[in-house]
Formats: sequence, C-alpha cells, structure tokens
Amino acid sequence: MSATDTVRFAHRSEAEFAKILDFYGIRWQYEPRSFPLEWDERGRVVESFNPDFFLPEYDLFIELTTLKQSLVTRKNRKVRRLRELYPGVNIKIFYGRDFRQLLLKYGLRSAAAAR
Amino acid sequence: MTGTAQDIEEVLLPRDRIAARVAELGREISHDFAGRSPLLISVLKGAVYFLTDLSREIEIPLSLDFMAITSYGSARAQSGIVRLIKDLDIEITGRHVLLVEDIIDTGLTAGYLLRLLQARSPASLQICTLLDRPRRRILEALPIAYRGFEIPDRFVVGYGLDYQERYRHLPFIGVLKEVVFQDLPPHPESASGGSTSRA
Repeated sequence: MSATDTVRFAHRSEAEFAKILDFYGIRWQYEPRSFPLEWDERGRVVESFNPDFFLPEYDLFIELTTLKQSLVTRKNRKVRRLRELYPGVNIKIFYGRDFRQLLLKYGLRSAAAAR
Repeated sequence: MTGTAQDIEEVLLPRDRIAARVAELGREISHDFAGRSPLLISVLKGAVYFLTDLSREIEIPLSLDFMAITSYGSARAQSGIVRLIKDLDIEITGRHVLLVEDIIDTGLTAGYLLRLLQARSPASLQICTLLDRPRRRILEALPIAYRGFEIPDRFVVGYGLDYQERYRHLPFIGVLKEVVFQDLPPHPESASGGSTSRA
C-alpha cells in the first residue's frame, strides 16, 4: 500500500498528482504545514495557507489550483502573501490548466475531465 | 483526428528554424566538448529525431546510446513506479554524458533520469533539450546546458513529439488542435504501456 492509499485528499486531482510523484520516486508530504497569513488586533490568526504538497528532497511546497479562475486568483494572492511573509519558503503553483494538459498528454482524459 | 498535419492548429517551429537551431547547438557542443568525446544519451522515442539531427551537426568524436522508460499514462504503470524498459548498452562511468531530451516540462522525467545516471558516476552529466517549457516546471534544479527553444504553454507535437503515438513524423513542431486531444480514443500501444509520453 502506498501513501496515496492512506492519505485523505481534498480533491481527486491531488491524489492523481501524488501518484505522479510516487511514479517518479519523489517523496512528498500532504499539507504538512500551515502558514499564518493574517492576524486580528489580538494576534489571533484569521487567515492561513496550507500548501497541498511538500517535497522534502527539494525543499519545495506545491499548490495545485483548479480550473476556476476565481479560486486561482485567490490562491495567487495567498501565495504572494506567503512569499512576502516567509521569503525563505520555496513554493510553486501548478495551475489547473497545466495539470489538465499534463494528464491529457498522458492519455488520462477522464482524470483531466474531473478537474 | 487524422494523425497528420491536418490536425495542427499552428506551426510553432518550422523545419528550417529547427534545423538552424540544431546546427547552432551542434557547434556549441563541438566547441565545449572538444577533446572529451561525449556520450549522447537519448530516451526513446521523443528525442530520436533531435538526437539524429544534432549528432550529425557535432564535429567531434562522440558515442550514442538509448534508454526507454515506462510512461505514467500507460495502463500498467498507473499504480506503480517508473520502470526502465531498456537500459544503456555503454558503460558511462567516467564518461562525459549529455542527456539529449526532446522537451523539459515538469522536469520529473529528467529528474528521474539524472538520479539514475548520476548513480553510475559519469565524469560529467548535463542536459541538452530541444524544447523547454518552464511554466510547468516542478523540479527547477536541472543542469540544462543547451536549450533549443523556450516554448509557451501549448500542446505541441511533431519532430519526435507525439500524442498517443501519432504525429512524431511531422517535420515541424506544431500546436495540436484542441478538438483532437479531447476526442481521440486511447491508442492501443499506449494502453499497453508502450507510450513514452514525457513529463
């Protein structure tokens, strides 16, 4: 049983992405860390960001987006804020359109259609 | 879907432009590897056209070898890990190795191949890729020493690049019409694990 069978992913595309990483022998962690982004006047966290994946061998966080532009815009804003607050953190956004193209290239049309 | 140039929406890189750039790369490699007799390694099947043209533009002694690996999209591979279908025939320990790629996209395939080759202790290991699509890059730290063209985020085929094992023979690199990759039924060879679609 691989880690992809034991982790509860929020979206099917995340499970597919984890399988791709497994395929190429790249170790990953799913949402291992939460980054506070906004605090209220009493210092309580009111907004945080949990990137989808962390690749420890590459010290890299990866956030997958969906095809919905409104959600992409929101995630872009969060990633920009994360980079401002945590400049030492490496994070990449893998856009839904790019992921869909990748799945289509693999011939996985049903998975691509589910995005 | 015809499997021919009729399915191409736009020619991104015409034949003569590819040839001119390949000749430039050949001259650069000839200069940089002078006296070192590089070993050019390519992964079947996408980079075959590029490798054969590139090698004929290199004016120093060299060797060629090929590898083949399973594709993520192949039916047998979907739940497993990448497998080496064909290993190298030539020993690479102590050799100056140039991994010749058709396209670097996410970098996952290249990353896997680099790990595999590096474990065999070559004297040096670099990448020569015809196409580079950095927008989709996941693994950044790749030793790309030679780059033919940076391309936009389009679905490209031709000059070795395929979709479901078709279009490799086109002499140019073109953008596939979207209707083609939305409607094409899986090619039987791909479904059996024969495809080498790259990431």
